[in-house]
Amino acid sequence: MKATGHKIRVLVAKPGLDGHDRGVKVVARTLRDAGMEVIYTGLRQTAEMIVAVAIQEDVDCIGLSVLSGSHMEFAEEVLAELRQRDASDIPVVIGGIIPRHDVASLEALGIRGVFGPGSSITAIASAIRALADARGRV
Amino acid sequence: MVQTGSKESSDQAAWLRRHAEEFAQQRKESFTTSSSREVRAVYTPEDLPEHWYRDAIGLPGEAPWTRGETATGYRGELWGWEFYAGFGSAKEANARYRYLLEQGSTGGVSIALDLPTQIGMDADHRLAANETGKVGVALNTIEDVLDLFDGIDLESAHRIFTTANCIGPIAFAWFWLLCEHRGIDPHSIVVTIQNDPLKEYVARGTQFLPVPASARLAADVVEHCTNEQLPWLPISVSGSHMKQAGGTCVHEAAFTLANAVCYADELHRRGVAASEFAPRMELHFCTDMDFFEEIAKYRVIRRVWGQLLRDRYGAPDVAPRLHAATSGLPLTAQQPKNNIIRITLQALAQILGGVAQTRTASYDEALAIPTEDAVKLSIRTNQIIAYETGIADIVDPLGGSWYLERLTLEIFDEVQSILQRVEKMGGALAAVESGWFATELADSAYRQQEELERGDRVIVGINRFVEDDSDDIKLFKLNPEAAMSQRRRLAEFKARRDAKRLAEAMDALRATVRDGRNCVPFVIEAVRVGATVGEISDLWRQELGEYHPQAQWLT
Repeated sequence: MKATGHKIRVLVAKPGLDGHDRGVKVVARTLRDAGMEVIYTGLRQTAEMIVAVAIQEDVDCIGLSVLSGSHMEFAEEVLAELRQRDASDIPVVIGGIIPRHDVASLEALGIRGVFGPGSSITAIASAIRALADARGRV
Repeated sequence: MVQTGSKESSDQAAWLRRHAEEFAQQRKESFTTSSSREVRAVYTPEDLPEHWYRDAIGLPGEAPWTRGETATGYRGELWGWEFYAGFGSAKEANARYRYLLEQGSTGGVSIALDLPTQIGMDADHRLAANETGKVGVALNTIEDVLDLFDGIDLESAHRIFTTANCIGPIAFAWFWLLCEHRGIDPHSIVVTIQNDPLKEYVARGTQFLPVPASARLAADVVEHCTNEQLPWLPISVSGSHMKQAGGTCVHEAAFTLANAVCYADELHRRGVAASEFAPRMELHFCTDMDFFEEIAKYRVIRRVWGQLLRDRYGAPDVAPRLHAATSGLPLTAQQPKNNIIRITLQALAQILGGVAQTRTASYDEALAIPTEDAVKLSIRTNQIIAYETGIADIVDPLGGSWYLERLTLEIFDEVQSILQRVEKMGGALAAVESGWFATELADSAYRQQEELERGDRVIVGINRFVEDDSDDIKLFKLNPEAAMSQRRRLAEFKARRDAKRLAEAMDALRATVRDGRNCVPFVIEAVRVGATVGEISDLWRQELGEYHPQAQWLT
């Protein structure tokens, strides 16, 4: 449990081999400008690497960025790894090229926010803040 | 800066004063292009310096090359229209290429590789499980390549292109061996290998070796092609991805030219004559929505590259070769049919920019790999522009537009000044390794996003004219079994190889890589006896070192 008013920490990550990181960098900078502490993993992360950093850095939210069409697989892997490491309380959101018909399936897996092409970065920042605040109150 | 006559006493200034009241009522206080360049209401001959036509524009097909690569433009040959495609296994991708050729694609076979292949991993690599056959086709072995081209007449398709960047020598070996296998003369087709690793570190992300090692392998491919006197384009230095990562037209043009200088310097250092390497270097860009800036950009790039070839490498007679693709970036997932119009305008801009080889996206690409119907529409788009508008009958039809010529001069100056800056940093290798290129692009991407959120930049369907429900269009579905069947094929292939011959070929390749000699002939032999993309790439990793992504804190 965390004291209210602490600085929100977010891990933004590129799982898999996709090298398109324009979006993730813009989001990272927006969250930083919104007063959060942000770690960007760089490219080619596995679920194990992402969850290990998230736990080590005690983050309030994980944001995944996938533009290669493998969003379902990576969402499943990261959520499974969080369960495995007893860290399912860290909310996970995902952005990238995600067709509308996959949104419900991602949410059913336990993804807490899905941001497809054309999403507003201010909306992403507010959603992450709300998730982090909700977690802080647990 | 572009020098022109005094402003105060000009006709334009007097005209502005006469219409001051109207100008006070404009829609916006100021008007800017996509690269934040302020534009005036009107342009006149006063905006161009003395002798601009003689010094900077001239005639097509000769220096300063502003107006076109060839004297006849599209009166000689229409631009080529190609369609980047690839997914699943070689067999599935093969069906799409046949469809495209049947429907009238004139750009040959343009192969999208899956990410593992591009990063030097086979389908059985642990990181490949989720990515095999997803964004492109999985090509691990020479057998995959032969299957990919099954039933495709190479001589009539004439052109092959692929985005092998960090595995350039392997891609060369594939197509060399494909010709050999089919018994056709490799001089009778044109193979273009993108083979531009520098921009991968900056924007595209398939790098797996240290920067100088990748640049060396890329130069090996170009040098080998000149040794073989092949009419191939063994390098297509690309700005497209840097633009999509956030760059403006100016970043795109300047960074690409800086990278091209880096490769050309290396070839020059190896003693390859510029008259040999320069005609084999292509420069590749993407066309976004700012119509006139894009047209001006293509004219500028020809002029700058032509000047570099003349002054830096002593090749004054080599025509710059450009390739352009419509940009995927402005395509929206919302109201996807709007993309048909965007693609048409982009295609028109790159054609008016005088580019000889082009690629056109499909309207459903913001969402998925295009369907056959969507790709066909893009073929028809090119055919309509080519055969119905008359645009193809005049070379550089917009030449002489005061606005376009002024833009061309301004962008030329800005590109030159960035090139000088990169030179002072120690060249493109330094600008890539220090992250300067990447930081400039990220800053620019952030500015663009801010403009979008403020509403200063309009994208229909995203921040204006938004509809609740987007059109439901039929999307392409990948075969979910593709990765599994590729792994099975690979295992069977590996089991069939002659282990002794393979080991010998790999040892010979290793010795060459250690000695610093051109590795291409040895990669050909290794691929011939069954070496896979992953095995050869691992050998390079062992001998040349490995790229490791870095995490960063933003606080």
